Amino acid sequence: MNSETLNTLDTYSKNKYKYGFVTEIDTEKPKKGLNEDTIKFISLKKNEPKWMLDWRLKAYSKWKKMKEPKWANLSFPEIDYQDIYYYSAPKGFEKKPKDLSEVDPKLIETYNKLGIPLEEQKVLAGVAVDVVFDSVSVATTYKGELEKLGIIFCSIGEAIQKHPDLIKKYLGSVIPPGDHSFSALNSAVFTDGSFVYIPEGVKCPMELSTYFRINAENTGQFERTLIIADKGSYVSYLEGCTAPKRDDNQLHAANVELIALEDAEIKYSTVQNWYPGDEDGKGGIYNFVTKRGLCAGKNSKISWTQVETGSAITWKYPSCILKGDNSIGEFYSVAITNNFQQADTGTKMTHIGKNTKSKIISKGISLGKSQNTYRGEVSFLRKADKARNYTQCDSLLVGNQCGAHTVPYIDSKNNTAVIEHEASTSKINEDQLYYCRQRGLSHEEAVSLIVNGFCKQVLQELPMEFAVEAQKLVSISLEGSVG
Amino acid sequence: MNIQDNYLKNKKNIFFSENKDIQSHREKLINIFENDRFDKKNNESLKNINLKNFIDFKYKYLIPEETSVINNNQENSYTIVSVNGQCSSFKDDKIEITKILDEDYNDFSKNDTIKNNDHFVNLNSLFLNSGFKIVIKKNNDIKIKISNIITDDDLTIFQKNNYICEEGSSLNLIEEYENKNNSTSNILNVIKLEKNSQLNHFLIQDNSPSHNLIITTHSSCKKDSTYAQKVYNFSEGYVRNFHYSELIETNSEADLQGIFFLKDNNTSNNKTFVKHLAEDCKSNQVYKGILNDRSKATYFSNTHVDQVAQKTEGYQLSKGILLSDNASYFSKPELKIYADDVKCSHGSTIGPIDENAIFYLRSRGMSKIAATKILISSFINEELSSIDNEQMSEIIQKKLVRYLSKVK
Repeated sequence: MNSETLNTLDTYSKNKYKYGFVTEIDTEKPKKGLNEDTIKFISLKKNEPKWMLDWRLKAYSKWKKMKEPKWANLSFPEIDYQDIYYYSAPKGFEKKPKDLSEVDPKLIETYNKLGIPLEEQKVLAGVAVDVVFDSVSVATTYKGELEKLGIIFCSIGEAIQKHPDLIKKYLGSVIPPGDHSFSALNSAVFTDGSFVYIPEGVKCPMELSTYFRINAENTGQFERTLIIADKGSYVSYLEGCTAPKRDDNQLHAANVELIALEDAEIKYSTVQNWYPGDEDGKGGIYNFVTKRGLCAGKNSKISWTQVETGSAITWKYPSCILKGDNSIGEFYSVAITNNFQQADTGTKMTHIGKNTKSKIISKGISLGKSQNTYRGEVSFLRKADKARNYTQCDSLLVGNQCGAHTVPYIDSKNNTAVIEHEASTSKINEDQLYYCRQRGLSHEEAVSLIVNGFCKQVLQELPMEFAVEAQKLVSISLEGSVG
Repeated sequence: MNIQDNYLKNKKNIFFSENKDIQSHREKLINIFENDRFDKKNNESLKNINLKNFIDFKYKYLIPEETSVINNNQENSYTIVSVNGQCSSFKDDKIEITKILDEDYNDFSKNDTIKNNDHFVNLNSLFLNSGFKIVIKKNNDIKIKISNIITDDDLTIFQKNNYICEEGSSLNLIEEYENKNNSTSNILNVIKLEKNSQLNHFLIQDNSPSHNLIITTHSSCKKDSTYAQKVYNFSEGYVRNFHYSELIETNSEADLQGIFFLKDNNTSNNKTFVKHLAEDCKSNQVYKGILNDRSKATYFSNTHVDQVAQKTEGYQLSKGILLSDNASYFSKPELKIYADDVKCSHGSTIGPIDENAIFYLRSRGMSKIAATKILISSFINEELSSIDNEQMSEIIQKKLVRYLSKVK
């Protein structure tokens, strides 16, 4: 390896987290620790009906009996669940502000620093934003326009109050609270998140988007998102995360459930940039996310796109259950790990219905001393006639202290189903680098160009509004070479 | 009967039970069994196995009466008949065959690549009752054919064979497993390849439904050596092929290939594992399977590249054809890479026979069955045509024809 490459690697590894700042807002918290009182406190604060509290307590009793899943290729100190605050809402936010002018100016400033001025987005981009600051929804825009179409886009807390029928029917139907310990934990203590319902035949005219932001120290975020696309509808949902710099590890265990009925399509895009910890691997977010979509009806489609650049630990497997005949599941992922980050991410495609199709494109890039694992399961059940899967997972290694791993599980029980899987692991091609350098690009520009090309297949799946941000994040992850 | 009682009861029939070192090692193994209890849920290598046959078995071993024969019919060619896992000693200036000794046991038990997670190897170490050691001397080019014979019903053979290829030697090894009786073999081959040596290892497995075969290979390759293995599994009984390879010095190569043909209720578990521990090494893992009726198969392949193993090339390929509604195939091609200057890839496919190809052949006047058979043969043609031994090629062709005759 030449000295220039080493220099570039050095700049990579010294790259600081750009968005590390803290907004000082008083927060109101219950006591640390998890017990029935904490759950009752949360439920009371959110003004929830009794059935919801019972649901939470039931999940809690399940959680008590469960152990964390251990199969992932991750190492981290044991999580002390009694040393975490489970609810944190900025004071005075129990009553929601009616519009942006009522929102704390400091909050607005925070978003401005992140480059997503609400006002501007509202006017220019036409994106309705359901902003989550810590755990309470702060402002919701463009609601009126959505309401005209009958689309429900609100916080999950509001949905529990206003649409109990839908919540009772669908909450926990894709990810049962007893699925594994993180889903049980989330079900017991989830505080906020989004709820989307698209009525029959409606094509949602704009990309729905939520910005999550962890702010208060030691506050685990337990988001719960539920998206239901009724017959023949379409929705594209964006989720993005940035978090301020902290030294203590923060736990994040979100649950996202998608349900697509007959002929419906859901597109779910994520850009994740939680605080990854410093160069020595200190601090950073623990991200244990369960995302699962159910293609319940015929001809339905669910598509996951994710760009993962942050978090000290990423444990995330957006999955599709292809139950309806002819349904389609897609998964596009870019995961970049640097320093001491560990990522164990992938997907699970379960083919149940006939003629179901799934496609998995996963790109992993490891730098520094990080470990990047793709873990995916594709299974064809007995009745999945003529089902089809294509999987491609490529890894790129930059530097000789990182690791890239691929662990696919492939299970076929149907003799008309076809499954194809391919994977490759390599470093940045010297010839390509040489070619770019020869044409006058600096070493850093060349690396950036090649990495961007490597990820392109996934990035182009992102909606326009998000693509810019995603490219920014990829650049930041490679900063020093990309600029 | 649990494993511990079974062991204590039959201790006098088991190798090296007087050696203290070995005894303490075995006590540790018993502890592992006690703690782990063959936890199927967390140990995927136990998938699809009817464990009862292997944990709760009745130990029975007979020392063969007739000593096995070694023929030196041609100059560099030897035929060995191993009876109940044993074979008589032999020595000339090219090879040396002896019984396995305490030191061979200890030598392997210190290696922890497989220990702890491969229970069948641990069972082998615990109940060891037969085996031999073959040394190929420096710079010799040798051919050996081994026929494995089991004399009685209900025997449980726990056999361990050591092969050592000394510097510059070359060995062509053909092993045949064709047992018709109701017995279980648990065989562990430990292979050491010294500098610049080569071993071509063929395993032909064709047992009757009542015979269970568990075969594990552990090979370690030093500088410039090559280990190439080909497994042909036509067995109607349960077969477990687990093959581990370690590339410990530069420029060594491991090539692990296999094909299996399953039908009826049969199950086969396969695993290949290559550990790259030095620079400039190559590995290749290719398994192909054809599954008919209600058969089940699993294939785990794994390439592990250590941080120092730069310039590694590691390839994996797994292909499965399901001929029936009720067959199932599970594959897990795994890559674990800690070095950056590597070329590693894996590919895996499972599916039916290509309908377009069948249509093409049928439109030229062939029946559906004939077309299917032709396509199955062509699926594995690459593996068959690469056999350079004419006699063996014929044997395998015959077995293939027998398998195809049952395909409907």
